[in-house]
Amino acid sequence: MKIGGSYELALPPARAYTVLQDPSILARCMPGCDHLNRIGETAEGHVAYEMKMKMAISSVQGLFAGTVKLADPNEPTSFRLIVEGSGKVGFMKGEGVLTFVANGTGTDVRYEGEVNVGGVIAGVGQRLLDVTAKHIIKKFFGKVAAAIGEME
Amino acid sequence: MSTTIATTEKLVGKSIRRREDPRLITGTATYVDDLKLPGMHHACILRSPHAAAKIRSLDISAAQSHPGVVAVFTGPDVAGVGPVPCGASLPGLRVPHHAILATDRVYYVGHAVAVVVATDRYVAADAIDLIEVDYEPTAAVADPEKALEPGAPAVHPEWPDNVSFTYHQEGGEPDKAFAEAEVVVKQRITSQRLVPMPMETRGCVAEYHTAEKSLTLWSSTQIPHLLRTLVGQMLGLSENRVRVITPEVGGGFGCKLNVYAEEALAGFVAMKIGKPVKWIESRRENFLCTIHGRGHVDYYEIAARRDGTVLGLRLKLIQDLGAYQQLLTPAIPTLSVLMMPGLYKFRNISADIIGVFTNCVPTDAYRGAGRPEATHGVERMMDLLAAELNMDPAEIRLKNFIGNDEFPYATATGLSYDSGDYAAPLKKALDMVNYHALREDQRKAREQGRLMGIGISTYGEICAFGPSPATPAGGWESATVKIDPSGKVTVLTGASPHGQGEETTFAQIAADELGVSIDDVIVFHGDTAIVQYGIGTFGSRGTAVGGAALFFALKDLKAKIKKFGEMMLESDDITFSGGVCTCNKTGNTVSLAQIAGMSYRAMRLPVNEEPGMQATRFWEPPNFAFPFGAHIVVTEIDRETGHVEVSRYVAVDDCGNIINPLLVAGQVHGGVAQGLGQSLWEQAVYDDTGQLITGELMDYAVPKATSMPWIETGHTVTPSPVNPLGVKGVGEAGTIGCSPAVVNSVVDALSPLGVRHIDMPMTPEKVWKILQGERI
Repeated sequence: MKIGGSYELALPPARAYTVLQDPSILARCMPGCDHLNRIGETAEGHVAYEMKMKMAISSVQGLFAGTVKLADPNEPTSFRLIVEGSGKVGFMKGEGVLTFVANGTGTDVRYEGEVNVGGVIAGVGQRLLDVTAKHIIKKFFGKVAAAIGEME
Repeated sequence: MSTTIATTEKLVGKSIRRREDPRLITGTATYVDDLKLPGMHHACILRSPHAAAKIRSLDISAAQSHPGVVAVFTGPDVAGVGPVPCGASLPGLRVPHHAILATDRVYYVGHAVAVVVATDRYVAADAIDLIEVDYEPTAAVADPEKALEPGAPAVHPEWPDNVSFTYHQEGGEPDKAFAEAEVVVKQRITSQRLVPMPMETRGCVAEYHTAEKSLTLWSSTQIPHLLRTLVGQMLGLSENRVRVITPEVGGGFGCKLNVYAEEALAGFVAMKIGKPVKWIESRRENFLCTIHGRGHVDYYEIAARRDGTVLGLRLKLIQDLGAYQQLLTPAIPTLSVLMMPGLYKFRNISADIIGVFTNCVPTDAYRGAGRPEATHGVERMMDLLAAELNMDPAEIRLKNFIGNDEFPYATATGLSYDSGDYAAPLKKALDMVNYHALREDQRKAREQGRLMGIGISTYGEICAFGPSPATPAGGWESATVKIDPSGKVTVLTGASPHGQGEETTFAQIAADELGVSIDDVIVFHGDTAIVQYGIGTFGSRGTAVGGAALFFALKDLKAKIKKFGEMMLESDDITFSGGVCTCNKTGNTVSLAQIAGMSYRAMRLPVNEEPGMQATRFWEPPNFAFPFGAHIVVTEIDRETGHVEVSRYVAVDDCGNIINPLLVAGQVHGGVAQGLGQSLWEQAVYDDTGQLITGELMDYAVPKATSMPWIETGHTVTPSPVNPLGVKGVGEAGTIGCSPAVVNSVVDALSPLGVRHIDMPMTPEKVWKILQGERI
């Protein structure tokens, strides 16, 4: 499933770029994120984190264990985010590019990518995948915005 | 004890209520999941979430040590078990090795990877989650046409073209017919994957008797004896040490006409742990792991003269096989080809089947099994031709039907149609809807801007499977009739039913032939230790083949009864009627109970007769039987929502002689429900990565009682000469006649907008998009 959209953050692009790469922010703001530990760099040079996150979709919910990778850094314009996880109810894989575009004093964070799920979560949750993904992304940026508010 | 003396009033032809129903509607029937054996364990199966992946490693240690878990088995453990069998053969058919558990690779979502056995079903389900599988996902392909494209992911790496088989059949001179045709119409027509969806999912209980080295397998199946033979082979058990029992079966629709990995797996587990084990398929598993039906992409071409005379039919049929060949998978599309001429005088036929592997659950027989697809194709093409020639769809059909004087009719596909009066049901259906007035109503509706459609389909189907040389297993059926010393009658049928009501219809036949009350007859089936070998119930064969076997067993028994009657009445001029032998000279009588008693007491025996009162017949049919009929569907479409309202449904079926009109109506109603399901709502959808995204009943729209229109049924009766009962079969007729009538009706409704074809299912969303001018 393709996803795409944008969210406005009240920070200049350079700051927004840093904030969205900050593991403590990511851990706090990713909905259902249980923990996020840096495990180093992959062979391809991606910064990798190990993560556990809870996800609920339709009548199915479960804990996903997997990795978050930050790749193709192009500070302060863009980077690629790769999230992979699997659990008892199936697996998920999301990959997308975040682009930072100055908008007045703030930044438009644009994202474009693809989410795939499999197993039970695909069989019973597909109908709600689109709205759930949008909801999770919105919640994530909402939390990031709130965290920024606290920091500033 | 006395035998009730029945009147000579015949039961065959009467609407007798199903004798099965009291136990079904009072909850006292026993299904597989109702079985509780001492020491019984429970199995749950870990299934692949990936459509295609290599299994890098598998760690079962945590599951093994989970409290309550007795055993965990994976692919290597079951390497000694034979593969899941494919019973169909075609020249050059590629049959992948289908192990009962995946070993190094998985080929579809739901592929069984490991089995956990525990003291409790919930413990087993919990422990499944403790198994760690390291998958390396590989590219998958779920669409049969995409699977044929160069560079498509290979489902089975050894066959990179994804082609399991190709099959060509030709009759007459199709090239010449198309060259000489005045008009040729072409259309791509799909018949989507469907989930057969019996209310009772699959399930089995296996118990191994270690000392006797024998296995008892209870399974929700349509074919107990074939299952015994094949599971015995898979497990290396001699067949006489395997007993298969089918308790109540809550629907099959073809999906239980199969041998599944889980049936052998349950046997394997029972043999390993020395305890009985139960496996019950969950509804989600049923979506993923029980065979699907249909899965066609058909390219049709019809050749005709401008006066509407059909000349030829061409078909390129792409069959989505899924990842494996189940019992009859590759045979199903060949049935489509056999029946592609329908009821018409197509003398020139050409068909090419391409059987394509995809990373999906296998397809196989689902109510109609290849014939709904064929009828859908030819009936859509007749309507497309009628539209092209500006002819009435009823008229073009009547013009091209095989004539009443042409039977037995040799088709261009090599069949011999047994008997027919093809115009009769169509004319009757046209009368029932008052066709000309209905077209006038439609004209007025269109003036008012309403979208009203009238759809006609006429169908012929191949039933009463079948002569043994033309079937993958035997095509005969067996029956035993036993009369107890007290004169009570037991019928054992090899055609193990699963909702067809044979306990009623077969009792009607036996009661009539023996002249006893139906209450004195019981019909028993579905236990290989009790019932002689049989084939099973599918392909509308129960009555036409199993009932015929019963008829002949009764005939043998009546001859024996008469011999005892002659001896006891000391006369060679007697009549057996109404359950008594009467001497035509003296009027003296002996009852069936007296005769049966004598046959077992055996103080005296007729010359050359043995004691006892029992007869068994295995009957081989000389041909298939070919029922036919006409369905007319009136629809009205809501412009705002795209909703298709079926305002009238008329089904006129000719299934030959009718044993029980109530049960025939029930078969038609059920068949139409499933036909409407395919026409309007149901579709098993795999996404591009091979995930089944319609994996629960929230996403897969099975018709409900409230979805159903009122069905007006009618009949014409053309007895089949193939069997002594003159029956043709009706189990699949409703489904086969339905979908083309519904699609023809909706296309007719939308024809003022320039619509000439719509593929199923015609969901509100799809129809709405068409109404918005989108191309579908």
